Amino acid sequence: MAPIEPDPPVDPVDPADTGPAARARYLDEVMAEIDAEVRRRRASGDLPAGLERELDELFLEFSPVGLHGRARLRETLALVDGSAYVDTAVPVASQKAVGSYVKRLIRKAIGWYVGFIVHQIVKFAWSVSRMFHVVVDHVEGLEAAVESQRTPELPASAVPVADPGSSWWSGAAVDALAGVGGRVLHAECGNGALLDVLIAGGVDAYGVDPTESVIEPAIDRGLDVRAESVLGHLEVVADEALSGIVLSGSIQWLHPNERDRLEGLVTSRLAIDGVLILHSATPESWTAGSSHLVSDLAPGRPLHAGTWSHLLAQRGFRPTALLYGGEDRRLVQVAPSNADADAINAAIDVVNTLLLGPGEYLLVAVRER
Amino acid sequence: MTGVHQFVPALLPRDATGDHTLALRETFRSAGWESEIYVEAAHDELMDKATYFERYPERAEPGDILLYQLGTASPVADFLLSRPEPLVLDYHNVTPASFYEGWEDHTSEKVALARSQVAALAPLAVLGIADSAFNAAELRRLGCRTTAVVPILIGRDGWVDRVDERELSRLSADHGTATVLLFVGRISPNKAQHHLVEALWLYRRWYDPAARLHLVGPAVTASYVDAVFAFAAELGLEGAVRHGEHLTPAQLAAWYADADVFVCVSEHEGFCIPLLEAMESDLPVVAYSAGAVPETLGDAGILLDDKRPSLVASAVDRVHHDPVLADRLVAAGRGRLEQFGAAATRARFVEVLGALAAGRGVGG
Repeated sequence: MAPIEPDPPVDPVDPADTGPAARARYLDEVMAEIDAEVRRRRASGDLPAGLERELDELFLEFSPVGLHGRARLRETLALVDGSAYVDTAVPVASQKAVGSYVKRLIRKAIGWYVGFIVHQIVKFAWSVSRMFHVVVDHVEGLEAAVESQRTPELPASAVPVADPGSSWWSGAAVDALAGVGGRVLHAECGNGALLDVLIAGGVDAYGVDPTESVIEPAIDRGLDVRAESVLGHLEVVADEALSGIVLSGSIQWLHPNERDRLEGLVTSRLAIDGVLILHSATPESWTAGSSHLVSDLAPGRPLHAGTWSHLLAQRGFRPTALLYGGEDRRLVQVAPSNADADAINAAIDVVNTLLLGPGEYLLVAVRER
Repeated sequence: MTGVHQFVPALLPRDATGDHTLALRETFRSAGWESEIYVEAAHDELMDKATYFERYPERAEPGDILLYQLGTASPVADFLLSRPEPLVLDYHNVTPASFYEGWEDHTSEKVALARSQVAALAPLAVLGIADSAFNAAELRRLGCRTTAVVPILIGRDGWVDRVDERELSRLSADHGTATVLLFVGRISPNKAQHHLVEALWLYRRWYDPAARLHLVGPAVTASYVDAVFAFAAELGLEGAVRHGEHLTPAQLAAWYADADVFVCVSEHEGFCIPLLEAMESDLPVVAYSAGAVPETLGDAGILLDDKRPSLVASAVDRVHHDPVLADRLVAAGRGRLEQFGAAATRARFVEVLGALAAGRGVGG
């Protein structure tokens, strides 16, 4: 493995200065260098995208609950069956010569007693195990019935690729985040275009996106971008560690359960006075603007901006800005010279209000508690 | 003369809460107060220092203050709920049940019961003493009106200098010059030792193929312990992850002395005494910022905002191979230890309880 050259130090802290401010600045510099080292490793191919997530998933295979907490019943049951046998042949190895002899003597002396107890324990364990086998049979039958009624998953090829930096709202996002002191997360960051703009604006930004192929250009540019889902990533971020969070992409059509989880995680991971930016399609544009596959099979639906404001207010956020943009599909009113202008325009107003309108919105909120 | 009496579910030797309780008793007696320890259970070694809590009513005196060492579920909590004396909680935190769900359901139920007992006691307490601001905030959220942050008393002065040299030689001979990452704490889902295994795997790929991870602490959650070591074996780390438990203080000092970096990626800590032990052992610290870890560690270690194995591995390497950084962290650790010194902590306990006692007529 080729050694990786470190970044040259920038304005190093005087080692003789040991005051609290100097210590904090020094540690900040060290942290920045550690972050840079990880980015270099990622860019060099030492840290393939998704590797760390794969490690977590591999560990979960050894847990009794299986992947993501969803019990793999048969495997869990196999663990129960395997544990139901109690071995009475206690190991007698010892570091001391006499120890092994004494242990063997004790084992032999109380073997009849232990055997009697163990026989009952094993009998009980097997009874419990048999009961679980019956339960698992029932559960699998239920799962088969439910599965037949499940909405098929949205094909990966149909999921729109996030390209938030080229959108109308990137300037407003940068303005809202200018001056925040700490780290800012962009989920889902796509090719990292918004990250470029944020970093150019002095924001300490990084991104996550579950689609590995999409983030490759961002990694190639040396950005700190990780192939992770926003929920998976926020689970391992410390409380109040982020100063800003930008939510975009498929987050807007999360399943209601996942959206609720996301709200909780965003609230706890964002510092007090932290800024949350949410970009979403309007519900009115959702059906017309999305492919039929996306609009029919997505797990959830975009919410109105007012609904998000309400949900966020319940979590302790204060909405500070709401901007509309994107494709405006409202019908243009007819000229007053038209004899029927009043009637036609009144009808157009109704149609515009109920069915059409701006395609997207950007909601900015500040966490107050 | 009336007094401040402590209630504790279990009084155990060589145990943080046990040491704390015994040290407090001496502190209170030195302040001129009567002070006894009432327990649900006690180790044989300490039975002469404790009385079963059911016997307190026959010894109660007007003006008594009852101090409950709260860290686990116990019938002592129900007993205290029924007592008329002013109650002070000394809160050491209870791990949320969610950490044990799926791993060990009976433990999950036990900690859920403990947290419900905290919730019942907190609004009734005249004072909540907490090891950390993190714990104090939890008490306030549960309805405790007045809280004070006073660290836990660690009564093992000089333990770090009494290293078991034979243990140290055995450890050194086992790994030679390889980098040793150390974590001390019970092996339990909230301590997230599996993330340390991931960090070790990456550290070996990037920096030192012979590096070791030493995990010291009781293996309390059997299914999690099995998973951690099976996971390590799957990653080819079978001999690289070592486990030590039932260590004497001198043996523990040897494990600290043998290590290169103390690494903590716990997801929930109410105080984290091993951070202080690492500081006492002049061992640089890399830690994930969760629970009370940031306030215990201060600037005496590298504090990580997330614990991706790449970040942990990179931070460990930086600390291990940058002597200037390591020296500064160790120096900061020594300064940090002074803030948690036993004398200052004892004085603070007497101060906060003295203020309360003055209003209740307690004192010599």
